[in-house]
Amino acid sequence: MTYAHGKHAEPKTFLSKYIFSFDHKVIAKQFLWYGIFFLLIGGLMALMIRWTLAYPGEAFPVIGNWLFPETGGVIPPDTYSMLFTLHGTIMIFYAITPILIGAFGNYCIPLMIGARDMAFPTLNMLSFHLAALSGLILLSSLFFPLGGAAGGWTSYPTLSTLVGSPGIGQTLWCMAIFVLGASSTMGAVNYITTIISFRAPGMGYFDMPLTVWGLWLTAILNAIFIPVLGAGVMLLIFDRVFGTTFFLAGAAATSGTGDPILFQHVFWIFGHPEVYILILPAWGIVSDFLSFFARKPAFGAKATALAMTTISVLSTLVYGHHMFTTQMSPLLTQSFMTLTMTISIPSAILFANWLGTIYKGSIRFTSPMLFSLGVVFVFGLGGLTGLYLGTVSTDLYLHDTYFVVGHFHYTMAASVLLGGFAAIYFWFPKMFGRMMNETMAKVHFWGTMIGLNGVFFGMMVVGHAGMHRRLYNPFVYEFLQKLIPINTFITYSAFVMGFAQLPFLWNFFHSLVKGKVAESNPWEVGTLEWTLPSPPVNYNFEEIPVVQCGPHEFGNPNLPEGKDFQYQTEKLVEA
Amino acid sequence: MSFWDSIKAPLDISTNGQEIDSLFLYITAWNVFFFLLVITGLFWFSYRYSAKRNKKADYTYGNTKKQLLATLAIGAAVFFAIDLNITRMSNDDMLGKFWNFPGDEEDTIKVEVLAQQWMWNFRYAGADGVFNTEDDILTNHELHIPVGKKVEFRVTSKDVIHSFYLPNARLKVDAMPGRISRLWFEPTQTGTFDIACAEMCGTHHYLMQGKMIVHSQEEYLAWLGEAQTVANYANDNENIDNFWGWKWETNK
Ligand SMILES: [Cu+2]
Ligand SMILES: [Cu+2]
Repeated sequence: MTYAHGKHAEPKTFLSKYIFSFDHKVIAKQFLWYGIFFLLIGGLMALMIRWTLAYPGEAFPVIGNWLFPETGGVIPPDTYSMLFTLHGTIMIFYAITPILIGAFGNYCIPLMIGARDMAFPTLNMLSFHLAALSGLILLSSLFFPLGGAAGGWTSYPTLSTLVGSPGIGQTLWCMAIFVLGASSTMGAVNYITTIISFRAPGMGYFDMPLTVWGLWLTAILNAIFIPVLGAGVMLLIFDRVFGTTFFLAGAAATSGTGDPILFQHVFWIFGHPEVYILILPAWGIVSDFLSFFARKPAFGAKATALAMTTISVLSTLVYGHHMFTTQMSPLLTQSFMTLTMTISIPSAILFANWLGTIYKGSIRFTSPMLFSLGVVFVFGLGGLTGLYLGTVSTDLYLHDTYFVVGHFHYTMAASVLLGGFAAIYFWFPKMFGRMMNETMAKVHFWGTMIGLNGVFFGMMVVGHAGMHRRLYNPFVYEFLQKLIPINTFITYSAFVMGFAQLPFLWNFFHSLVKGKVAESNPWEVGTLEWTLPSPPVNYNFEEIPVVQCGPHEFGNPNLPEGKDFQYQTEKLVEA
Repeated sequence: MSFWDSIKAPLDISTNGQEIDSLFLYITAWNVFFFLLVITGLFWFSYRYSAKRNKKADYTYGNTKKQLLATLAIGAAVFFAIDLNITRMSNDDMLGKFWNFPGDEEDTIKVEVLAQQWMWNFRYAGADGVFNTEDDILTNHELHIPVGKKVEFRVTSKDVIHSFYLPNARLKVDAMPGRISRLWFEPTQTGTFDIACAEMCGTHHYLMQGKMIVHSQEEYLAWLGEAQTVANYANDNENIDNFWGWKWETNK
């Protein structure tokens, strides 16, 4: 194993250790703090949105008067638009991405493949600093006149051009996304390179944990498609600032005509893969954890890895299902519908393999395992409900309703969030050298499960009843008035889900200082990071390990009495 | 109102809305089946193979040819038996109904729709049958149509993207600046129904509401006569804002 960079001495000052660190473990933690910070903001925004939908015209409790003094605590309609725009943007780009990809991508990849660090540590550091800059730009936009972006996270022109969004907020939003895109691309090339060239000797691609597979595929999709989004928002900036007309048409296009639908193509060429960019790490993590805690090799691990790869490829070919109502040509519409359906083949294989893994296992219901089983449940619902939206005729009715909102929250929010929590509970002892409290974790799990199903299933119900999206007050419509009670129920569920995060927060911060000191391998798992002390030392491995078996070696009958797993550094025991 | 009634889709008043409702039900039936399959496995295995009940896990990679073929067969079965079936049904509905626009010879009600922040404008060709002339009938917020006759819409937008959404006909189509999109349906019931804007179009998106008034044939003719008189009298030649319409392009 050769390294492009020399070994630096261990950093001593606060700045070099915590701010300008090259260490992938520290950068992982930076992304984790960053992600949790934005998760709280995005979550609070969600509660404000839900509050408005259940109690239109009533003051938001406790902090309402402080946030909206002019209206006596009531969320005004323009602020409401900003709230759902920034809720979407923040949750996708500033909470889920940094936690799953930024934090666990950084933490797990080198440790799980037996490397001392990422291939490009400076790029890695820069990636976080750009993400921080992007977050600052986004938050600062709220303090300008007319406030932040309010055109939805999809920011379709011409609403997002000067025609519909005067003020600097939307421009800052575009800049924030562009800078974040650069950050993600830096991370992506780093991950790809590291996985290809820094795997420990003996570790073939199929000897990598499935977590690393998920992160790898995510990085590849990111490297290809984030630049597409970057180009889209850059053109939007041009339209807004320099008077070009890429996305303007109709009366507003005074100097030549562009096409607002062009943006939708660009956006969804990125946007559909983005769904998989978010979910793939969670799939990988869940595929590993089900095996780890069923104490049984991952069923069809190779098929799982290949199914994830197939989905990544297919995900690039189906984006048109987001645009059926723009009336593309029938041929395009039919093609996108059929291609979308093919995704169910690899998805069915994933589910078969997950269930195959726990079948005849010896399941330990630890917190990471509970959350992983939760992912299988919610992703089942999320995946299946996608069928209605990939089907053109049903989509005519359901497009832009809460049915879509419920569906994508099941896939992108619920599944990814539960996967992220599983990862936090699992790697916390390795990251911080202390255990989290299992009882609190279980309270957190059940509270979250009950709350999120109430919210997201409820959303699909009101969506099927016709309620469309992004309405400040849906009940001005006669046909939606009967949905007031169920909207109130959804809001209660959202508060349950919100309050269920308190035991998590307490657990996280309390365990940081007061948690039981973790052993090097508390979960009895054989992947490479567990051969190291908790937390690992600077540069991880004194000596680069040699990998001799796969990551899921559990329950081998030839193992000596009292041991049911082996480390990847050990030779596979045979009779 | 019972709980069930309160979450039902709005009343369907179109000849083709039932195709969407029945396909929804068909997909739901399969979804329930598959979801039950998944959670039965999930809960039963969790119960049966907990460490308490099953001390020793099986040692299998699930990589034998037989196991691989079995998973692949599940995937293929789902795709060929169900997905392609749904795709075919939806495709038939689209080609046979929703994309099967009325021909030239058919006598239909023709309406041009202009969306703008935050209202709906409707234009009827008037007595001369030609759009964008002085005798055009213009309404906003209110769409008047007769029951039992096909209605054709040509939709566009003045400013940002909107979406012309008729919940009671299970239809919507985007209203896009610079493009004209098409929609047709045939109402089966009289009454007053909501028209909504389904695409986020700014702060007052939620107020972009219209009403669709489905008349009986006689009532419609009465309304039309009255509206024509008003139009002849009130349309102002000098006001160019009145002439947002365009030449009607036929379907085939
Ligand atoms: Cu998609
Ligand atoms: Cu609108």
